[in-house]
Amino acid sequence: MAETATGVRVRPADEMDISAIVGIDEKIGGHYRPEVWERRVGYYLRRDPEASVVAEADGRVVGFMLGEVRSGEFGIEETTGWVEHLGVDPGFRGKAVGRQMLDAMLEHFRSRGARSVQTLVDEEMGEILSFFSALGFEPSTLRPFVRTL
Amino acid sequence: MSVKTTTMPKKFHDAVLKWKDAYLPDYEFLLENWEKHFPREPRFELCAYRELGMCTEIECGDMQGKPKYTQAGAMQEEQAHHLHGAIRAQASTEFGSIQQHRLTLARAQDEEEQFWILRMMAEELRHGYQMLHLLVEDDWSSVSKESASDMIEDILSMNTGSHLLGAFNIDFDSFVDNVVFCALIDRVGKYQLAMQKISAYQPMAESMPQMLREEAFHLASGVVPMRRWMMQAAKGEGLISVDMLQRALNKWLPRGLEMFGDERGGGTNVRYGLKPMKNAEAQQQYYQEVEKLVRDLNVRYLRARVPSFGPSEADAALERILAGEAVEGIRREDLLHMPSPEFYRRRGVPAFRMVGFAGETFADVGAYLRHLEQHLPDAYRAGRDYLEYVDTLRQVARGELEAKQAAARMPTLRRVGGSCPCSKSVRWVVDEPRPAGDNPAVIETPAPPVPATV
Repeated sequence: MAETATGVRVRPADEMDISAIVGIDEKIGGHYRPEVWERRVGYYLRRDPEASVVAEADGRVVGFMLGEVRSGEFGIEETTGWVEHLGVDPGFRGKAVGRQMLDAMLEHFRSRGARSVQTLVDEEMGEILSFFSALGFEPSTLRPFVRTL
Repeated sequence: MSVKTTTMPKKFHDAVLKWKDAYLPDYEFLLENWEKHFPREPRFELCAYRELGMCTEIECGDMQGKPKYTQAGAMQEEQAHHLHGAIRAQASTEFGSIQQHRLTLARAQDEEEQFWILRMMAEELRHGYQMLHLLVEDDWSSVSKESASDMIEDILSMNTGSHLLGAFNIDFDSFVDNVVFCALIDRVGKYQLAMQKISAYQPMAESMPQMLREEAFHLASGVVPMRRWMMQAAKGEGLISVDMLQRALNKWLPRGLEMFGDERGGGTNVRYGLKPMKNAEAQQQYYQEVEKLVRDLNVRYLRARVPSFGPSEADAALERILAGEAVEGIRREDLLHMPSPEFYRRRGVPAFRMVGFAGETFADVGAYLRHLEQHLPDAYRAGRDYLEYVDTLRQVARGELEAKQAAARMPTLRRVGGSCPCSKSVRWVVDEPRPAGDNPAVIETPAPPVPATV
């Protein structure tokens, strides 16, 4: 069972978290991409600011999870929560930070009338697959298709 | 989460639409281009939102735990009076900010940033509408003799210069103001809305969640362009310099701090269950948040200027530069800095104390004005707001006015009769102190052509 980080607080993300999110993304992927996250965070704050969350430990942001509630996506007409970006500071992995953020997001999705939550994960990203599997996500009948242009 | 939407009775709704035609002429343009800039996002709707299922017990103060009020008439008179003032002030700021933003909206250099601000203006219109709806939906006769029509006309007749809070009486000089205003003044709005979310007056509390959701984007509409501008300035690509941003910060931060009210006050609102924090506490949190923003912007600058810097190198370099060292050719003066919380204040405890940018104090007015010249935008110093400040400061220095009196010399709203066709309107009235026994004189600036009548 994963250790739960004590003193971790989950709250809605805001524009002041952009730097911290950029920092976590850089630690994970090794690339500094502020423009990407400025645009993304702006997008989610505009759409549904309470849906996206960050986890704080000792006042420092150590994880983020961005998503929203939509309907009509890929023909799914019912109101559905979407988890679209997530990242946990490598120093806080294995402490259930992701689980706590997901719990907060799911609570918000439910309050917005969503009855299911979806995400897309690359099969090569074993760690992320394990994370979602452990939290009750199952493979969906929806399959992504791609064509090179 | 369950939300109820309502609109005001037609005559009031139409009054807001008429106001919108006068002060937000790009509204239709926004709607025509909505899909281009905000694809698949719900279209803007002018209505009032009320969040259902919120806490029904008073959350702080003397009556904590008792049921919240659903009608102003059931509140203590003084409590309702405070609340009524807060609603009017909130409405004034919402409409006031649109009047400011429209002056320089067309000067944006980037279409995306321009549409963000335009959307934000439409949402501010809705926030104003939300506050008017509170005034219309309830009976305020216990604290005001004005009819709902008069209250709405008062608010919709205000113009830059006659709004209840100082920050909304300052003209914008360029699109830098649109953006910095969002980052700093809308941030005060976020604090006020978050505090009012626990209001003992249930309709007020229920009005806040949707406004707060929209406010989150307004803040991003300020912070994201500021981050981009710092990056561009670092690369030498941008047209907006760090100095321009610094001066805009210096222009708006003091007004933002003053929007929290006098540092010694706020206890009454807490006692009455209208807000959970006193003025000084909220103001301090706000200042610290802006400090963090400034640090983030500086790191953004450093990493754009020295791409080889990783996060820890940038942090370390920032500390060294702030300590006075030049790192990779970057000096302390190349970065953004926080003005002292007492800098250029005209309200609250530090009002008219002539405190400089770094917290130093000045004894001579001339020296202080030269100092302000180095820190405030040129275009701002050529405007009415600064002139009025300088005028008042000189009177304080000559001993003709006490600082407390000077601080109180903000425009107040009065119904002023007269032969002018718009005599029913509210005028900007400033009481000039006179020797004892003399009648108070008034300086009146004519109200604008009444854009909306109800």
